[in-house]
Amino acid sequence: MAVFDTPQAAFGALRPVCVQLTRAQTVENVRQLQAHLAGVSGAALQELQEYVLFPLRFALRVPGPKQERLVQSLVQCISSVLAATCVKKQELLQELFSELCTCLAPPPSSVKAAPLSEELKLAVIQALHTLMHSAYGDVILSLYRPSSLPLLGFAVSLLLTLAEQEKAKQIKISALECLQVLVLQCDCQEHRQLDEDEEQQCGDLFASFLPGISITLSRVIAGDIKQGHKPTVSAIRLFYLIVGLVMADKQLARIPKSKEKLPVEHSRISELMIHRGSDWTKSTAEKLSLLLHKVVESSSVHPHWKVRLELVELVHHLLRNCSQSLVDSFSHLLKAVVGLVNDENSEVQSRCNKVLQGIAEQRIVAQNRALADVLSENLHSLATALPRLMNSQDDMGKVSTLSLLLGYLKLLGPKINIVLNSVSHLQRLSKALVQVLELDVTDVKIVEARRSEPPGPLQQGVQKGRCQKKYFRFFTEEKVFQLLQQVCRVLGYYGNLYLLVDHFMGLYSESGLYRKQAAMILNELVMGAAGVGVDFLQEREVPLNVDDLKGSITSILDEYMDQANWYLVTSVDTEESSPEQSEQHLGLAVRAGGASSSILLQSSEPPVTTRTMNSNIWQICIQLEGVGCFAAVLGKEFRLLLLSALYPVLEKAGDRTLLISETALGTLADICEACGYDSVQCLINENSDYLVNSISLNLRQLAYQPRASQVLDTMLRNSDASLLPLIEDVIQDVLSALDQSYNSQASTFLRVLHSVMTALVQWFGMPSAEEHQQRHSDKGQSRARSQGQHKVTMTSQEVEQFFLDYVSQKRIAEGDLPDLEEEEADEIPLAKPEPSSDTEGEAPMPSHAQLARDVMERCIHLLSDGSLRVRLKVLDVLELCVTMLHPHGNHLLPMAHRVWPALVTRLISDDPLAVLRAFKVLCTLAQTCGDFLRQRFSKDVLSKLTSSLLSQAPASARAGPVYSHTLAFKLQLALLQGLGSLCERLDMGESDLNKVADACLIYLSAKQPVKLQEAAQRLCQVDQSLFEKLSVLAPVLL
Amino acid sequence: MLTVLMALPPPDPQFVLRGTSAPVHTLHFSCGGPEPDIPLLFSGSENGFIHVWNLKTHRVDTALDGHGRKSVYCVETMGGKDRLLSQGRDQRICLWDLAEGRTSVTDSVFTEHMGFCRCSLLKVAQGRWLMAMAARSLEEVQILELPSKTSVCTLKPEVGAKLGMPMCLKLWQLSCGSQPVLLAGYEDGSVVLWNVSMGKALSQLSCHQEPVMSLDFDSEKAKGISGSSEKVLSIWCLNEQQNLQVYKTHELVNAGISDITIRPDKKILATAGWDHRIRIFSWKKLKPLAVLDYHTATVHCVSFSDHSSPWDRLLAAGSKDQRISVWSIYAQT
Repeated sequence: MAVFDTPQAAFGALRPVCVQLTRAQTVENVRQLQAHLAGVSGAALQELQEYVLFPLRFALRVPGPKQERLVQSLVQCISSVLAATCVKKQELLQELFSELCTCLAPPPSSVKAAPLSEELKLAVIQALHTLMHSAYGDVILSLYRPSSLPLLGFAVSLLLTLAEQEKAKQIKISALECLQVLVLQCDCQEHRQLDEDEEQQCGDLFASFLPGISITLSRVIAGDIKQGHKPTVSAIRLFYLIVGLVMADKQLARIPKSKEKLPVEHSRISELMIHRGSDWTKSTAEKLSLLLHKVVESSSVHPHWKVRLELVELVHHLLRNCSQSLVDSFSHLLKAVVGLVNDENSEVQSRCNKVLQGIAEQRIVAQNRALADVLSENLHSLATALPRLMNSQDDMGKVSTLSLLLGYLKLLGPKINIVLNSVSHLQRLSKALVQVLELDVTDVKIVEARRSEPPGPLQQGVQKGRCQKKYFRFFTEEKVFQLLQQVCRVLGYYGNLYLLVDHFMGLYSESGLYRKQAAMILNELVMGAAGVGVDFLQEREVPLNVDDLKGSITSILDEYMDQANWYLVTSVDTEESSPEQSEQHLGLAVRAGGASSSILLQSSEPPVTTRTMNSNIWQICIQLEGVGCFAAVLGKEFRLLLLSALYPVLEKAGDRTLLISETALGTLADICEACGYDSVQCLINENSDYLVNSISLNLRQLAYQPRASQVLDTMLRNSDASLLPLIEDVIQDVLSALDQSYNSQASTFLRVLHSVMTALVQWFGMPSAEEHQQRHSDKGQSRARSQGQHKVTMTSQEVEQFFLDYVSQKRIAEGDLPDLEEEEADEIPLAKPEPSSDTEGEAPMPSHAQLARDVMERCIHLLSDGSLRVRLKVLDVLELCVTMLHPHGNHLLPMAHRVWPALVTRLISDDPLAVLRAFKVLCTLAQTCGDFLRQRFSKDVLSKLTSSLLSQAPASARAGPVYSHTLAFKLQLALLQGLGSLCERLDMGESDLNKVADACLIYLSAKQPVKLQEAAQRLCQVDQSLFEKLSVLAPVLL
Repeated sequence: MLTVLMALPPPDPQFVLRGTSAPVHTLHFSCGGPEPDIPLLFSGSENGFIHVWNLKTHRVDTALDGHGRKSVYCVETMGGKDRLLSQGRDQRICLWDLAEGRTSVTDSVFTEHMGFCRCSLLKVAQGRWLMAMAARSLEEVQILELPSKTSVCTLKPEVGAKLGMPMCLKLWQLSCGSQPVLLAGYEDGSVVLWNVSMGKALSQLSCHQEPVMSLDFDSEKAKGISGSSEKVLSIWCLNEQQNLQVYKTHELVNAGISDITIRPDKKILATAGWDHRIRIFSWKKLKPLAVLDYHTATVHCVSFSDHSSPWDRLLAAGSKDQRISVWSIYAQT
């Protein structure tokens, strides 16, 4: 909304005020001029520029002291004129420039006057700023001729003084910004881009100011924090801009060898000019290095994030422009930027990452050998200090140290191999990593936590293999571990995998102290090499060679699964294997381990400490995790390695130590996912041939390899009947091996047989066994229902019912018979289906039944084994065999016949525990062999059992509450619970039933423990029905 | 190396191949190919199947069914793993084309022979083989040229020789291009050396009291070995006059040898025993080196692999217990 658009109109309007001002230099007049200026259009004012400026400059030039307010208003007015117009003449620019500078200059030292006011300073600085912006591109260059050097130097020193010494924040900032414009590095886009030669000239010129500017700025940067962040930020920016300009590699490369001779008239100026030759560059770089160090020190820990951000920019700018000239400073600079990667401010973080990425992408390091040297030197000194730092620093300190390490590695990128190829570098780095990663192995719980028995099928609880949470000696922060992981992965990503694997395998076998850490590192290296979960800045140069990776993995796997490293003592259990066996096994392991297994030797000596076991457990877990990693890395390619790797992992899945079995399950899940199997069951099924192969070979040395049975067990539990054809020969092998060593290895073999039979029963036996059960329970229930009773414990009712029934029984005994034909009619059709199962026996026996028979055969021999534990196990297996053979009565009966004598011995003269289990077998046997057993049972066993019940009754009647935990109690209970159905199934005669009833009656006494009473009540119910049945027959007999 | 082998506890097989679901009668390796080729093992079993085992995965790649579910008792490759010859109890010798995943019988020879005598194959020129096989009439051996199937000659013993059926054959020639010669073991326990081109018996040696079950011959040392159902191994040599002479005999612990193979490097030999055991002897002095005890039934055949690197080489044995055990003899050092 300019009022005066044409120069003429504007002239008319401005002339009076200008004249006025020329006459009297007052603040008022200046203000008037300024007011009029507002109404003049830019174009018009441009025409009148010099005319308007004249009175103002005139006023400034008037000699003698002037009122400060006047000067300020004059300067402001000049400023506003300049803001609206362009300076098109070199002379005008130079004059204005020098006039404005003079305003700033402190009064001559001789005159003691008050210092200039802050407002004035600010106004002048702003005017200078405006002036620089209003000058035309070519015009402004006139300021940057060697001849203007003194003038420029004057301005620079003035502004620097202001920036450093002023208290007012605004002045500081303005001065710094003005300086920035002065060195032609203004942030705004209006300026003309300088061409190379011009830049070179400016660089030459500014080189003279560099010492002053850099020193002063570094002081500003390191100055009091109270000055606020803005001046610091501006100072940093100015610092890197000027340094980046003067020390630019591009310019320095073009500097001629000798100094250019200037015309004679400039000889004095020529002295001021600096020749940026190599000597100068070197010495300047040295000095700048000191300053940069100072700058980095103070600003990298500056509380305000913008300062830290600007520091990142500094590094970025200098790295881009001066990577050669300032190479010695980069050790500090990179350290700063790498350290800031984990800054608390996310903006700083992301900028840092971007800068690092930029550095990496432009291959600044890769192409600059010197820079790579700097980095590897930094890395070396850091690695040297790392163990000490890790010991002394707190977790936060560790995080920053490790971030630094990681940053160096990332920056080095493909050049990492330079570092790795130097033995001392690699050794320091690896030692540091190994020391930091030392695990805390004092937790007793790790050793104590056992797997709950029996373990469920593998499906449940198998999640994707997550790493077990590890506890480290030197840190607790998860972040520290993550950083260490990244360090290893980055090493693996860029480094020579063969070299690294070889080195860490060396550490692995060097000492037991390093083994776990080395394994952890190896796992991460492989992950990194495959590019899994690596956070890298630049792609590696050579893509991964899958064959190399596979080769490395195969060799690591071999080492992990070596006897000495895979079979470690993790528990002091003797249940797993008898002492002599475990000793043998240990001896074997030690021999296999050779010289490297000193730790094993220790561990095999009698007192195995908890610490050693804990350590062993962790080693196994880490190795298992490794297997999972390798699978993940190789994907379907890992299928080939399953040949050797699946068996050992499965072996560990059956381990009794919770941590190990959990980890192994995780590993299995990893393998499934990697190799494309839907489930662990699928994995086992599809690779059962591999497993069977390993199992069969290991079973050959069952004494040394008691775990083969665990794998067989795991496999059996997780597979289905389709497995049978494959394992048949293995089981036959076991049986024939057992035949050769009944005495020594029986318990180990029995465990195998037990799992085999359990699986067989599960696959083939269940339906028929259930049928039987069903049938019997149906019978029981129908009877219970007919008597209006439930099986549930309803004590009072039952007692009442008992007495009612008892009375009726008595009546029966006296010949007073109730109508019971219906009951009998119920019984007969139920008994009929029995023979049908016998006809099956004529057909050729299915292989699972044959196996059951073969196993049962061995059980006969083992039933009278000297060891109670063996006998108990045999009884368990026997029961399963009997269950298995139920549908094949023709085969079961002859076997039962052969088993009988031995079983009787167990029933009547053995440890109560054995009696208990033998009784269970008897009950199972009774399900099919009723007729066969009746006579023998009544002749050989029954009286013994009932008399033991009778003899034990007084003891239990007297006993206190603890009694229910005794074996005697359990035996009584089992007998009372089992005798009833047994008698029923065997269809026992009257006299036998009387014996049972007699024995049972005592237990109805209220003095007996409640549980025994209940059992006796139930027994009586069963007996009643038998009595009833008998009583039906009684008249016939009579 | 071999003495160490003795001192160690009885070794285990490196791995065991299961899944033929029938007794294994013959084995043949094909592992000589360059790197990308997968090492293979061919096995012929009683149910008429030829299984092609991938020795990297230890699994059956293909199962060939070409003998009408009658026992296969001889499998040989012709030149490479793509051409296979198999002989079965269906009295046929089949030629297979296995290239590029094909599994077809390209040609077959009807032997009309009722016994178990394995045929013997000799490469005489590129793409040309001689095959000796027991012929229809009891005592005769017929020589055919393959793949043309033209009869070269028929080897008939003199009238009244009463050799019985041929039991095992070994066709060989001293060097490439020289006269092919056939060694045949007969039912009466004798080994006869035949000149194939003349169709004439050169020499006859009575080695065993019982039928010769298997023989192998080392043409470099001009020495051969044969086994029968007795407890003895017989070693014989061929002198310059082309006469067979008994060199020595070796007494065995248990009777019955079903197969004998000398390793291609002629350092050791393996026998397949009816006592379920594989025995390894040094070939030079017939020193017993190892007893490989794994099988639970008669071992029917033993075969050495043709891996180019000696460290990879394997020994495989097939048994009546339906398993094939694979042993690494070299790696036992």
